[in-house]
Amino acid sequence: MNFKGTLPTLILEALEQEPSHGYRIAQRIKERSHGVLDFKEGTLYPALHKLDNEGLVESFEGIEKGRPRRYYRITESGHGILAKDRAEWRELSRAVTLILGEA
Amino acid sequence: MTTELETWLKQATRQLSRDSAAQVRTEIQEHYESAREAAMSGGSTTAQADRSAVTALGNAKTANCQYRRVLLTSVEARMLREGNWEARAVCSRPWLKWMLLAMPVAALMAAIACFLAGAIGMARVLLVGGIPIGLLLTAPFLPLYTPSRGRVFRVVKWVVLIGALGLAFGPDALKWSWLLISCLWLVARIEWTRVSIRRKLPVAEWPKQLYL
Repeated sequence: MNFKGTLPTLILEALEQEPSHGYRIAQRIKERSHGVLDFKEGTLYPALHKLDNEGLVESFEGIEKGRPRRYYRITESGHGILAKDRAEWRELSRAVTLILGEA
Repeated sequence: MTTELETWLKQATRQLSRDSAAQVRTEIQEHYESAREAAMSGGSTTAQADRSAVTALGNAKTANCQYRRVLLTSVEARMLREGNWEARAVCSRPWLKWMLLAMPVAALMAAIACFLAGAIGMARVLLVGGIPIGLLLTAPFLPLYTPSRGRVFRVVKWVVLIGALGLAFGPDALKWSWLLISCLWLVARIEWTRVSIRRKLPVAEWPKQLYL
């Protein structure tokens, strides 16, 4: 399913649970959407870098299975943006449901 | 590393700076290893796991376009490395610094003197030449350390430059527009590259040239 534009919000949502590396973020989004939101994983990292540039996430070195990995965690501003995006999404979803009707 | 992954990485890191390309390589290789291990623990053969891990990455050209929007390209990295040469040259020679600071003041005073003496044409030439050059030369010494001050300076810089060109060409500005465009496209290109770098670098890492 095409979910262009919502990937940054989904990444922030995934990171709100716990700090994570890119692969786990991708898996979490796919699992939580029951495989509906299936995206190309090569596009995840540019989105993560953009969030990093904007100060919404920060990266740090971590270790997994004895190997160094780049982990990301959500920042204070990231929490704020996520709350705003969530409220906007609920409003949009309610409005579209009013027009299209309940499934 | 498999040939498929190497090909993917080559395409995805095209035109990126050396540091950006190294960063992309590391993160994609880590991702690839995790995807490969997950596929193999799910019962895939090594070949199947390799293929599915690369396929899951998607189109390398699309990734490259997105990477170039958020990471420094080789052109931008070169501009950051070499773009500060004037400031370095000036700061290493104190006499040059004072000479450059005195130039716009001298040009302004000379222009006023010419104007009072009735040499309007000469006064105009001095203003047109002296003020924009003075503004650009003194920029490295101005206290521009915050993005908002940088924005104000850039607005002033463009107003002065356009004003000087307007003063120089007067009503003939349209007639000479081909010359203006061919001279200014390089300046516009440098400005555009700086805008792109400002979007990609956190403010804490901005060198002085990005404020100008």
